[in-house]
Amino acid sequence: MEFKLEAHRIVSISLGKIYNSRVQRGGIKLHKNLLVSLVLRSARQVYLSDPCPGLYLAGPTGIPTVPPPQQPGEPVAGPPSGWGEPPPPSARAALPEPEPQPQRPSVCHTPGAGSSEPVAAVAGAGDALRGGEADSAAAAWGRVERPRAVASGGGSDTCPEGPRAVRRPCGCPPAREEQPAEDGSPAPPAPCPRKRGAAGVGGGRAGCPAAPGSTPLKKPRRNSEEQPSTGEEDTDEEMETGNVANLISIFGSSFSGLLRKSPAVGREGEEAEESGPEAAEPGQICCDKPVLRDMSPWSTAIVAF
Amino acid sequence: MAADIISTVEFNHTGELLATGDKGGRVVIFQREQESKNQVHRRGEYNVYSTFQSHEPEFDYLKSLEIEEKINKIRWLPQQNAAYFLLSTNDKTVKLWKVSERDKRPEGYNLKDEEGRLRDPATITTLRVPVLRPMDLMVEATPRRVFANAHTYHINSISVNSDYETYMSADDLRINLWNFEITNQSFNIVDIKPANMEELTEVITAAEFHPHHCNTFVYSSSKGTIRLCDMRASALCDRHTKFFEEPEDPSNRSFFSEIISSISDVKFSHSGRYIMTRDYLTVKVWDLNMENRPIETYQVHDYLRSKLCSLYENDCIFDKFECVWNGSDSVIMTGSYNNFFRMFDRNTKRDVTLEASRENSKPRAILKPRKVCVGGKRRKDEISVDSLDFSKKILHTAWHPSENIIAVAATNNLYIFQDKVN
Repeated sequence: MEFKLEAHRIVSISLGKIYNSRVQRGGIKLHKNLLVSLVLRSARQVYLSDPCPGLYLAGPTGIPTVPPPQQPGEPVAGPPSGWGEPPPPSARAALPEPEPQPQRPSVCHTPGAGSSEPVAAVAGAGDALRGGEADSAAAAWGRVERPRAVASGGGSDTCPEGPRAVRRPCGCPPAREEQPAEDGSPAPPAPCPRKRGAAGVGGGRAGCPAAPGSTPLKKPRRNSEEQPSTGEEDTDEEMETGNVANLISIFGSSFSGLLRKSPAVGREGEEAEESGPEAAEPGQICCDKPVLRDMSPWSTAIVAF
Repeated sequence: MAADIISTVEFNHTGELLATGDKGGRVVIFQREQESKNQVHRRGEYNVYSTFQSHEPEFDYLKSLEIEEKINKIRWLPQQNAAYFLLSTNDKTVKLWKVSERDKRPEGYNLKDEEGRLRDPATITTLRVPVLRPMDLMVEATPRRVFANAHTYHINSISVNSDYETYMSADDLRINLWNFEITNQSFNIVDIKPANMEELTEVITAAEFHPHHCNTFVYSSSKGTIRLCDMRASALCDRHTKFFEEPEDPSNRSFFSEIISSISDVKFSHSGRYIMTRDYLTVKVWDLNMENRPIETYQVHDYLRSKLCSLYENDCIFDKFECVWNGSDSVIMTGSYNNFFRMFDRNTKRDVTLEASRENSKPRAILKPRKVCVGGKRRKDEISVDSLDFSKKILHTAWHPSENIIAVAATNNLYIFQDKVN
């Protein structure tokens, strides 16, 4: 049980760090947030796998199994360390991004030196830009809240059929693989458009056959920050930290996966895959009262943010 | 003042100059005094030579991002004429600065007087040639090149190539190669950004060129690995030539295993045969010819292993310590907490812990070795782990290229220590 408490504490601290990073001066630090997200996932795995009496309804073997560390984009449980290999170059090239040449004049202008307002302005503007995510995060909180209210009002002995066999029909891994096709690009073009600058020592654009229609493709929802810029080739590349900001909403939805009896509907992508495995874990589909009791510290932590 | 916190320290190639950068975007250069013949035993001291504002805070209105002016790294170019050149970088922009001396000024203009006011031409009856007269030494720093708009993520390293014509800058996901003369374009030589950012598993944490082979460089990752790349192999060095990784010790696994294995600094030895890496608790030396494990591992402050959760809470676990070689590659040095720094002699396998603080070091005083008590009875001079001040951290140190002179940055103070002359 101490592991669970420790894990819970670490999750709360980690969420706090991710949240605070959004308003930190200098922008979101990718490295730090990546490390925090790794801790978050480890802690969550421990929390979910720590056997506690009364928490799980055991499966046929009578022993709750440790959930495999599912990764977005990986159809099956990978190696225990959990982190998959980087996608093959062809997959990467399938979704080229609008990366302008650095010699284009910057669209950004430096302000007068010593402006003291920026910090507050950044927080406000940053939140406005990320309003999309905030909305979906709020929606995730809502999903957590509602099932809890329903379940506590109703009966507790709800146990659906075949817990282990249930996979959410959204079939996220196949969806992910299909993504490039959905987005309309033909066979993945040769990996190349990462070179910036003129021809010279092996570099340059000369050797890069652009795939027809390789205009920037909009990835579903994930790059909501980038969408304003995808229409214009001139815009600088956005620092992609949407995955960081989305971790909070992912966490919210994974709890809803724990509580919901029916497969989750809603956003596809990582969020769905995150809650998918949880939904499939033996016994955790059942909204037992002990589960709900244990859940309340979690929702308190989330609501606090 | 938070703006005075030193964020980088670097000797130039001769050791005559020492540059520091701080959080406020300033660069301060110290110069070593010439040793006078009268005082043979008085070693040259370092005095302030030049101070200038390298970077200013910027605000990117389109992305609503503030760009910090903090100087992340300074690297000197080898001296090729009377002027000195250095690269300084913040999170987004690298600048080449020229630092030059002016000790003469022209006097005796015809058309203007000494204050620069124009003379009435009607009053001029004779002509004279202006002459150069000595003046008080003035050191001026001018920005010669600005290399901007090439990094989407935060720049963590710059490294000058041994060809002295190019240099590289590395951010979390990409490394770019620049020519000093060309500011409006750069070559991307490493790109580890995944097509889908959710699949991001590691970032680049440091990068450096080989000291002699201009085609070779290394970069370290947040996963504790180092990749050595050869630019002759392909234009985009996404495939490494060598891959250095030590298998994880499963008995040490914890929530924070990934964080503490993230490499915060990588440095080639002067010989070019070894690389040294720093992660949160250790310094490791790797032989370029052996990829599967380091040849030496030194524990910097292993007593922190049981405190990782608290260090995670107070963010100390994210501190990025640097490491340095001495001129002969026989001793390595790195910082710790409580203003302690550690030196490891690779030959004798002896190590020492020293402290950089005003109270403990008066000029000419000899530094006393310090010891952290890990448990049991604490001896008189020892300090217990729980008494360590984690706000006093030594992240940046530098070692003179040929002599036993070290520079240690302790928050907003710079300490320079020299070997005692017998």
